[in-house]
Amino acid sequence: MVPSMASGFVLRERAVLHFNVADFAVAVECINDSSLKGRPLIVAPMQASRGLVFDMSEEAYSDGVRKGMPIKQAMRRCTKAVLLSPRPQLYQKAMAAFLKELQGYSPLIESGQTDGHFFVDVTGTHRLYGPPPDVGWRVRRDVRKQLGINPIWTLGSNRLVSKVASRLVKPVGEYIVTPGEEASFLAPLPIDILPGLNHKELEKMREFRLTTIGALARLSPEQLMVPFGRRCDALYAISHGVDDTLIKKPSMETDVIEAEHTFANDTSDRKEVEAVLASLVGRVGMQLREQKKVTRRVGIWLRYSDGVVIARQATHKAGTSSEFLLQDLALLALKRGWQRRTRIRYCRLVCDRQLRESSQLSLFAVAGNKKTEPKKIEGAMDRIRQRYGSDSIGVGRKY
Amino acid sequence: MVPGCNVDSPGVVELLCPPVASDREQFCEVAVGTCGYSYTEWVDNGFYPGGTRTSDMLGLYSRDFSVVELNYTWYQMARADALARMIENAPSHLFFAAKLTRTMTHDPVPDWREQLATYRKGIAPLENRLVAILIQLPPDFERSVANRNYLAGLLGGLEGLPLAVEFRHVSWAVDSVFLELERRQVSLVAVDEPELPGLFPFLDVVTNPDLFYVRLHGRNRTGWRSGNMQKKFNYDYLDEELEAMRDQHLLQMAMATRRGVIFFNNHVRARAPENAKRLVKILGRQGLVNGAFHG
Repeated sequence: MVPSMASGFVLRERAVLHFNVADFAVAVECINDSSLKGRPLIVAPMQASRGLVFDMSEEAYSDGVRKGMPIKQAMRRCTKAVLLSPRPQLYQKAMAAFLKELQGYSPLIESGQTDGHFFVDVTGTHRLYGPPPDVGWRVRRDVRKQLGINPIWTLGSNRLVSKVASRLVKPVGEYIVTPGEEASFLAPLPIDILPGLNHKELEKMREFRLTTIGALARLSPEQLMVPFGRRCDALYAISHGVDDTLIKKPSMETDVIEAEHTFANDTSDRKEVEAVLASLVGRVGMQLREQKKVTRRVGIWLRYSDGVVIARQATHKAGTSSEFLLQDLALLALKRGWQRRTRIRYCRLVCDRQLRESSQLSLFAVAGNKKTEPKKIEGAMDRIRQRYGSDSIGVGRKY
Repeated sequence: MVPGCNVDSPGVVELLCPPVASDREQFCEVAVGTCGYSYTEWVDNGFYPGGTRTSDMLGLYSRDFSVVELNYTWYQMARADALARMIENAPSHLFFAAKLTRTMTHDPVPDWREQLATYRKGIAPLENRLVAILIQLPPDFERSVANRNYLAGLLGGLEGLPLAVEFRHVSWAVDSVFLELERRQVSLVAVDEPELPGLFPFLDVVTNPDLFYVRLHGRNRTGWRSGNMQKKFNYDYLDEELEAMRDQHLLQMAMATRRGVIFFNNHVRARAPENAKRLVKILGRQGLVNGAFHG
């Protein structure tokens, strides 16, 4: 990157802070009930017949409990654990309180829903709030004081570097990677700490004995092209700590709208799966229409009872928020994804590649009520859903 | 060129002191620098040329100064690999003071003894380029029995390394503290800060004949307790203030020591490097040419 350009426009080195609260759900539960502190704790949905561990405390972790593990297995490993049902609303409230602290320092904050992760772009805020390491330290001090949460914080010149740094200091601590030091910081680290690598790529890297990030960084994009094809440039960039991803502005609207369902019993009943899908389409469709957005891609994630996960998608060039069209896209994606005879345990519907809904009217009049009628129906359905819940009404297949 | 200042060691002045035991003239090498050097704001304010990247800052800094106080070691534990890389790229005339990590001063952790050991390993690459380790204690660190024991533990754990202690609470301004520091050959940091109740005053007491250590934080009374660094350290020293400091304190301190370091912490609007350069000139009027800092 060139630091300055002929036009007088200056590119600043970026400064991205990453805050991360280890075992966020557990941390929030412990604030809520201080008697839980220091005890092994497992957060998992107790009412579900097949509940999976949502989060666990350090004590439970050291006994072998892991996220996504069935409750029964987790309780066998950690018999003294206190079992709590997840309370997403409580976690969201804690996230909002944390976010409020951060908003005093930057308008560019990105966070998950309830995961305790925050990326804060503090580029150019130094004249108001001082150097970025000081912002990191102050936020942690204030959050500890106000909320009782002790986050780790890391600082890097981009999201990738600050994220990798945070993986090194868990569960408490801080890490500052000085700009210009990115490649030498990453070089000795194991390859699997690098975000953005898929399972197959990692496997291939192991085959090539590329065990450290430095080993990957030593290869040129041309050399990387042979085993990794089009991913060569991206791999070259991340292995050198280069990441131009922007930190998105805080907003209630996310660029991905999704809904998920875990079947009480694994199923291979097409009608049952399609009915669930219709319900998920109803939920995401309503959110899209509320946010006045259209999606250009609908994806389906299926997890089979043997743990295999398949993701397939269907695209719509112009983008849509119509329930009827979304339904068709979701079914197409399901058809593409459901190729095995194994029963399905879980499915997730994801709408991304979103655009703002265009208010531009068609140049030519559309014959009849073809265009306006479905919209009216969707509007009526949304009103009913808002009043009686998202599953109160749906399109045919559901019933 | 600044009178009393050497090209090989910019920002260093040799102050002539009256002979003490022998007939030979004594000199005190005084190096002026800043607390930290990596501020984007200093690019905006012209101390660094436009477009300067962080990795180039230390090299540019050392064109004007021969000593710098590393403050990032306060935010995070000193790491030998990072410091070794820094030393490798730093000009040979540059010396360093390193702040002790906050986990042993402002946010003490139960395993502070282990932290001390880690810190010692972390700063090892500085070797003979280390002027002093700065133990900056927080404003609420009063002189109590527990705190005295704790400080003794810190000083004991860092034994063998050049040390300087900065108190912010006025209760430490007593002779018994100075005597103990003298016994341990630890420098008492002279602090210039706003005259506010409870703050440690500027004392030119020299407790270590090898080194005097001065930190100038600015005198922003309204911003000091604002909780905002940009307000707290927003101050521009006047020539008269620096001259008064030289005449009332610095020359006297120089007489009792072989070397001294003076750091400006008023980094906002790049006042620190500008004030530091100005102080070098002001001291230079009293000093001799051929100053070279020997750390």
